[in-house]
Amino acid sequence: MAACAKGLDKLRHSLRLLRNTQLHNERFLSTSKGRQSAGSNTEQPPKFVPPSKPVIVDKTRAVASLRKFLSPEFIPPRQRTDPLKFFIERKDMIRRRKVLNIPEFYAGSILAVTMADKNASGKTNRFVGICIQRGGNGLGATFVLRNIIDNQGVEICYEMYNPRIQKIEVLKLEKRLDDNLMYLRDALPEYSTVDPDMRPVPISDTDEVPVNKLKVRMRPKPWSKRWERPRFNIQGMRFDLALSPEQMEHAQKWAQPWLEYDMLKEYDTSKLEEQIYTEVQQEMSKKPLAG
Amino acid sequence: MLRGKLSLIHEVRRVSPKNRLNKEFHSWGFLNTGAHFLSLGSRPFLLGCVRTVKTTTWFEEHLTEDNQEYMRKSLGEEYRRQIAEKLCPLKDEPWQRHKWTEGSRRVGLVAVKLGMAPIWTKTGERHVVTMLQVQDCHVIKYLPKEEYDGHTAALVVGGKNASPFCKSQHQMEMYGNAGVPPKQKLTTFKISDNALIKPGTPLYAAHFRPGQYVDVTAKSIGKGFQGVMKRWGFKGQPASHGQTKTHRRPGASGPGGDPAKVFKGKKMPGMLGNIYITAFGLKIWRVNTKYNVLYVHGSIPGHRNCVLKVRDTVLPTRSSTIANPPFPTYFTEEEGDLDEDLYEDNLFVHTEPSLTLT
Repeated sequence: MAACAKGLDKLRHSLRLLRNTQLHNERFLSTSKGRQSAGSNTEQPPKFVPPSKPVIVDKTRAVASLRKFLSPEFIPPRQRTDPLKFFIERKDMIRRRKVLNIPEFYAGSILAVTMADKNASGKTNRFVGICIQRGGNGLGATFVLRNIIDNQGVEICYEMYNPRIQKIEVLKLEKRLDDNLMYLRDALPEYSTVDPDMRPVPISDTDEVPVNKLKVRMRPKPWSKRWERPRFNIQGMRFDLALSPEQMEHAQKWAQPWLEYDMLKEYDTSKLEEQIYTEVQQEMSKKPLAG
Repeated sequence: MLRGKLSLIHEVRRVSPKNRLNKEFHSWGFLNTGAHFLSLGSRPFLLGCVRTVKTTTWFEEHLTEDNQEYMRKSLGEEYRRQIAEKLCPLKDEPWQRHKWTEGSRRVGLVAVKLGMAPIWTKTGERHVVTMLQVQDCHVIKYLPKEEYDGHTAALVVGGKNASPFCKSQHQMEMYGNAGVPPKQKLTTFKISDNALIKPGTPLYAAHFRPGQYVDVTAKSIGKGFQGVMKRWGFKGQPASHGQTKTHRRPGASGPGGDPAKVFKGKKMPGMLGNIYITAFGLKIWRVNTKYNVLYVHGSIPGHRNCVLKVRDTVLPTRSSTIANPPFPTYFTEEEGDLDEDLYEDNLFVHTEPSLTLT
């Protein structure tokens, strides 16, 4: 406290000095404008101007992002369900989002989730981990956090709109080369180990989300899935260390290169996304009116 | 006829002019078609000669596009007018109303299945619900005891508007008597004598209230002809250990010698699904009165967008869950000030703060 007061005093002093020099300068310069202002100043004693309050920016606090981001669970899947169903669900999702801040995050971001837990001491449980998958849509959207605790891999699947969730913090916002990091189960444990007491890494709210181009080294085979197969299309993995070129070539036997030309499988959501984004923004901004 | 065929082939050519193979093929086919019509069917392989027997006709068949559009528009207006007319059933001389007594049976609703969603209770438990929307549900006809089965009276209820061009004259007459648009689905509900409603009355989702239990009847998803393993859950036989052509077969169908027959009702392969199934005693968690959506506990037979039937449950232990239901149904004039959403007491509402468990 004392240090703070001292700092303030110093600031005030320096401000006063600055103001004096300004006056001096004005006297030096013989422009008419300067003279007028100087003249008006000299007639009455200079008014006390309180120093401006120092603005303390807490970089660790989660600020409302200025990036344009629509959470993927808002986008309805391509099917013949009545759009009204998604509309009604969306209304509930927005209601929940007004109560609980669900931040922007991606697979690869490090999150901390605080959840009400009947059996935990203190009745809440906080889990820190790397998000390896986002799934579901609508109110049933989920994400999976993975961490290694006491040399034991732990994964928790959270429902995003579960009312037991108290708080979702993004400790480190970043993307990876893949949208699904389930292969971390078969990677060396260091890649999914996160310090539970990690401090949030600040990121500007206007910048692009950085892409972590880390390529993980894998444990020797067998893996839970054959990640080298083309249908997983995994970029963030060091295949050259795990598999021989022959094996890699053999995996291409399952490639289906014609699928990308299948026009019936195309689902262009850009228009729909735009529409839903404006709807969500409108509804979210109604918050103060609703109380 | 020949001219029509020619124009068809030209159409095809216009659609895919770049595909050389197709073009050649088509031009060849065109030549052959000509030959075919001259020689009266000497060559069976011909493009565009596959004929289908037409038994159906469409209302727009002989109309220009403008006229079609006009028909659709006027039809829509007519429907809207008819529905708007019926919005205040209490004003235009309703039938005499009676008090709710123990053991009365109310009418049910015809609803459309929207899909499923999760809900949470205030104790943090998760349940799944099926969302059912009540679309344009009207009472069509009253069948007194004598006309129905001699024991109970019944009401015919229809839901989800349909095209009048697909209905017969006789059906249209019935809808005309009620003064409502034709419906995709008609069902009959047995009612007690005091629960009758005038035909033409609209029924809403608020007919049911959160906390009460309902039965839902719908046609299950058809699976086609299935074997005993899928249809009845038989175990089948092992995959290996000397099995020859015996992996998913039913095995024996009964004892031999003494009865010397297969008993009636033996579980056999056959058509699975596509039959009416009733799910009994499902709780209603929430009712949206604006969009007329019911949130019914658990899963329900039928596919998405299927039209189904919802009624008060017949289960004796669940039927008394609602003390004073809207009787004979919910009228907007009487209870116009209902909230947009009615929730069950124990249901978590998303505007509340997060749960803390103790």
